[in-house]
Amino acid sequence: MSDLLGRVVATERRPNTPHEFHFWTALDSPVGIGTIVRVDGSNPVNGQIPRVYGIVVEGFSYTDLQSPMHDVLGHDGSPETAGFAVTERAEIRLYSAAVLRQLPDEPLQPVPMGEVFLAAEDDVAVALRMDGYLKEGARTGIPIGVYRAGGTDSTIYLDADFLLGPEAAHLNISGMSGLATKTSAIEWLLASVFAHFPEEKGSIAAVCFNVKGPDLCFLDQPGRLDERDIELYDKMQVSSRPFDKVRYFAPYTAKGFALNTLRSNEELLYNVTPLTWGLREVLSYAEVLLNRDDIDAKADALIDFISERVVDRVFEKDTYLSRDHTVQSFADLEDWFRDLLRGLERSNADSWRTHHIATIRKVRNRLINISQRCAGLVTDTGHLSDLPFGKFEDRTIYVVDVATLEEDAQDLIFARVVSKLREHLERRDLGVKNLIVFVDELNKYAPSDGQDTYVRKMLLDIAERGRYLGLVLFSAQQFRSQVHRRVVGNSGTSLFGRMDADELATPGYSVLSPATRTKLATLEKGQLMVRHPHFTQPIFIRFPRPAVMMGREGVEQFPQAVEGGIDVAVYRSLRPLDHSVTLQWVQKFVALYDEEEILKARDATTRSRPSNVKAFFEAQFKKIIPPEPAIAAASTHEETRAIRSLPIDDPYGF
Amino acid sequence: MGHRAGVGDEALDRGVNESSWPTSPHAARRLIMRALPGASAMDLAADEASLRGRADEPPILSSPSVIEGTTLRAIRVAPPRGARLSSEFLGFLDGAQNVRVVNHRDGIPIVWAIVSAAIRVRRNRRLIAWEKREPLVSRRYYIPIRYVENIDPQFRNDHRVVDTGETDSAGKFPSRHPAALLERAIQKVRDDREDLEQILADAWCGEESSPLYIDGSIAGCARASESALAIGVVKTHRTLYAEGSAFRTVMNLGSGERSSVFTVAHRGRPTVASWYVRIRSAEGRDALFGLVRVETALSDDAISRADEISRWVIAEGSPLSLPDGRWDKMSYGVHETEEFLRAIS
Repeated sequence: MSDLLGRVVATERRPNTPHEFHFWTALDSPVGIGTIVRVDGSNPVNGQIPRVYGIVVEGFSYTDLQSPMHDVLGHDGSPETAGFAVTERAEIRLYSAAVLRQLPDEPLQPVPMGEVFLAAEDDVAVALRMDGYLKEGARTGIPIGVYRAGGTDSTIYLDADFLLGPEAAHLNISGMSGLATKTSAIEWLLASVFAHFPEEKGSIAAVCFNVKGPDLCFLDQPGRLDERDIELYDKMQVSSRPFDKVRYFAPYTAKGFALNTLRSNEELLYNVTPLTWGLREVLSYAEVLLNRDDIDAKADALIDFISERVVDRVFEKDTYLSRDHTVQSFADLEDWFRDLLRGLERSNADSWRTHHIATIRKVRNRLINISQRCAGLVTDTGHLSDLPFGKFEDRTIYVVDVATLEEDAQDLIFARVVSKLREHLERRDLGVKNLIVFVDELNKYAPSDGQDTYVRKMLLDIAERGRYLGLVLFSAQQFRSQVHRRVVGNSGTSLFGRMDADELATPGYSVLSPATRTKLATLEKGQLMVRHPHFTQPIFIRFPRPAVMMGREGVEQFPQAVEGGIDVAVYRSLRPLDHSVTLQWVQKFVALYDEEEILKARDATTRSRPSNVKAFFEAQFKKIIPPEPAIAAASTHEETRAIRSLPIDDPYGF
Repeated sequence: MGHRAGVGDEALDRGVNESSWPTSPHAARRLIMRALPGASAMDLAADEASLRGRADEPPILSSPSVIEGTTLRAIRVAPPRGARLSSEFLGFLDGAQNVRVVNHRDGIPIVWAIVSAAIRVRRNRRLIAWEKREPLVSRRYYIPIRYVENIDPQFRNDHRVVDTGETDSAGKFPSRHPAALLERAIQKVRDDREDLEQILADAWCGEESSPLYIDGSIAGCARASESALAIGVVKTHRTLYAEGSAFRTVMNLGSGERSSVFTVAHRGRPTVASWYVRIRSAEGRDALFGLVRVETALSDDAISRADEISRWVIAEGSPLSLPDGRWDKMSYGVHETEEFLRAIS
C-alpha cells in the first residue's frame, strides 16, 4: 500500500468531472507533471468503492497573498529583508489530474472526494489498461520504458497487437534533432520488439533507411551503457548487447569504386552488400524520378512501350532501326535510342509508331539521365544487387544506407524497396511474417504541403493499409505538424522527445495542458512522452541508451575508407570474401584490363559470393595470352654487329 | 483574548444530515423550523448579529500605573525599519465566533453561533496545528427560553441550547426587547469563545515551554496571566492607558519603540504587566496605526523582558496579514490561525 499523498478537492469554480479532478498535497510530496495517482473514494457506488486513476497534467502553487503589492509593502520594498520573515506564508500545492481509468467503469461519475495515493506498480498497470495484455498465456506486451515517480519504478508496455498490427499499427516519433531521442528510441524499441514479440505471432524483421549521417551504421557494434542503463535492460528483460543480425546495403559512389556509405571501413565490410540496379528495376519506377512535366501522356505511352516491347527482348530492325537490339541495360537503351533517332533523321521522318520524334528525344533525355543522376545505384551494365527479398530472416535488421545519396536516388531506393517489400508480403513470401520499416525525416518524405510525390503516396499507403499485410511503419521527424496528417494520424503509437516551443504552439498540441507542453519542451535525453491506444492520456517514460554504438562514435572508431583507385576499391570489395586477396594480386588485373571489365568482374564476384573468390574473379576476364618471346633467327655477322657505345660522360646518353 | 465577529460566513457545509446537529446556519435554521413551530426563517445574507455585536464598550482614557521608572516614556527596542529580528514565539492562539440570527419567533431572535479556538505552532517557519490539543469548535443555539413557547422539549434540553433568558448577576431577567436579547446572546457567545481560548491557553502553559502569542488580553485567563509563557497582544484600544502626559508619549511612539511598562488591573481579574509597542510607522496614518499593547504576567522579570518581547512582537509583523483590515497590528500567525478556524468551523 502506498503512502497517502493528498486529498481530492473540488469547488464550485473548480469542480471535478468524470475526466478531471483536483487534489492538494504536502509541499514536499513527490508529485510532478506526469505522475500517476490513485484516488480511493469513500462512498460505495453499486456496492463497490470507486477507485480512480489519474495522471497529473497541471500544477498550481499559491499562498494566501492576495496581491504582490502586499508582499512589497510587507518588506518595505526591500527584497533583502524578505527572506527573514519569522513565518512563511501558508502555501498550497494544488494539482489537476486527467482521469486514466475509473473502476467500476459504469456508471461513469465525477471523481469523488477521497484520498490520493501515489500509484504503485500494480496500479500503473491497471491505470494504463496494461493488465489486459500482460496476462499469462496471452501476453503481448512490448516494454517501451520505465515510468518513474516517487520511488515507483514501473515498466510501461505497449500492446504488440496495437503497435505491430493487426488491431492498430505504426509508430511515429517526434523530437528536436541532436538530442539523442528519435534514433536512440527506435534502436531501443527494435531491440525490445525483437526480444518480446510473441512467438505465436511469427517472425519479424526490420528494414531501416539510414537517411542522414552515420546514425544507423553501427547497429552491430556495442555501445556504451552505464549501470543505470543495464538495470533498465535487466528490468525490461531485453539483452543489453548490440543486434546479432544486421545487414547493410549501400550503392556505389558515382565513380563506382567504393560503396557510398559511412560504414565503409574495411573492418566492417563483412556484412555490407552493394545495392545496384539495372534498367529493368529502374524503369518500373521511372515515375519516381520524373516530374509531371516530364511524363505527359505521350511520354508515358512511349515509356510503357519501351518497358513492354523493348526491354529484355530482341527488338528487330525496322525501317528506321539499322539492326536488331537486345536492350538489357542503360547502355543498350542508349544505343537503341541513337539508332532510332539516326534512322528518323535519315528518313526525314517526324514520328515512329505514332511517337513523335520530339517525344522520343525527350524520353531518351530523361531516361538516360537517370543513370547519371543515380550513378552508383543504377548501372549501365544492368547488374542487379539487391536486398534478399524472399529470404528475409527473423529478428534481422536490414539497413539501407541512403544518407549520402542525391535526393532522386533516395526516392528511387525508397520507392522500389518498399514496393518490393509490399509485393512479397502480399504474396507471403518475404521470408518473415511481420516487417517494420523505419523512415526518418518524414518532414521531407511525407510533408503536409507541397505536391504529391510517389514516395509520399507510398508512405500513405503503408500507413493506411500496411497493417493488414504485416508491414508496419516506424517513422520519425522533427516537426510532427509538418508531416501529412494521414501518416501521423494512422500511427497508433506516438512518441515525443523534447519539442521545440514553436512546434508545441501548433494546433496539434492543443490537447495537452500547458504544463505538459512545458515538460515536453524540457525533456531530458532518454525521456519520452508516449501515446498509445490503451493509454487514455500521454505517459512520460524513460528508456535506456541503445546498446549499439552511436553514429558519431562509430565514425571515430571506424573511419570511413578513403575512396582510392580502382585497385584499392576492388581489393576492399573482395577482401571480406577472401582474406587471401592482396592488393598486389588485384593490381595485376588492373594492369591488364580496363576499368569497366574490372568493375564488372568485381560486381559479379560480390554478387555471387563464390567459395573460390580468386578463381571466380579471374574467370570473369577474357583470357589474355601473354606474348611469347620471339625466337631469334640466325643472323649474319653484320646484323649482329654491336652498336657503338656512348662515351661514359655523355649527358644525353640515356 | 481577541476575536473576530462574523468569521466564516461562507464556505458552509451544505451536505448536512437533517437528523444530526447542524453545522451550518442553513441547517440550523431548518432545525429550528422543526423544533419551534411558528418560527419564521431569517434571511441569512443579512449579517445583522455580527454588526450589532461589535459596538460594545465606549472608548475611554485611563491613567497608567507605570512600574518602569516614574513616567511613561518611549524606549527604542528595534531600528525603525529594515530590522532583521527573530522571534521566540512558538505558538499562536486565537478564537473566532460566527453569530447568526437564524429565526425569529414572535419577534424573539433565535441565535445560532459557531465558536472556535485553536493554537497553531511554528515548525520550520511554517504554521501547523498544535499536535497536543485539537482545535475546539462549538456550535450552539442561544435562545431566551422564557420568551419562547411550544419549544420541543428534547431540543430545549439539549446541552447545546444555551438559555439567554436567565437572570444576570444582579438577578434581573433580560428585557424582551429584541436588541437587548441579541446583545445578551452575543455576550454569551463571547463568553463561550473566551472559555475555549482559556482551555487552550491553560493547556499550553501546562505542557509547553516556549512562548505563546495570544491574540488579545491574557487577563481573562488565570493561569495564562501568571505564566511567563503567555504573551497577550491587544490590537483594539477602546481603553487607552495614556491619560495626561502619557498620551503624547504613546501617540508619538515611533516604529520600533515601546513605552515604559505599566500595570493593568481589570475588575475581578489578575493584574498584568503591559506596555505599548509601535510595530509599524504611523507616518501619514492615524495615531493608532501599528500600535499594540502587550500583556504579560506581572513577574519580577517583566520589565527586563519587555525589550525582548517587543522585538518578537515587531518581528511577527512580517509577513503582512493583508487583506485583513487590521493588518497593521495583526501578526501573520494570528491571521493564519483565523484562516484555519474559518476553514474548520
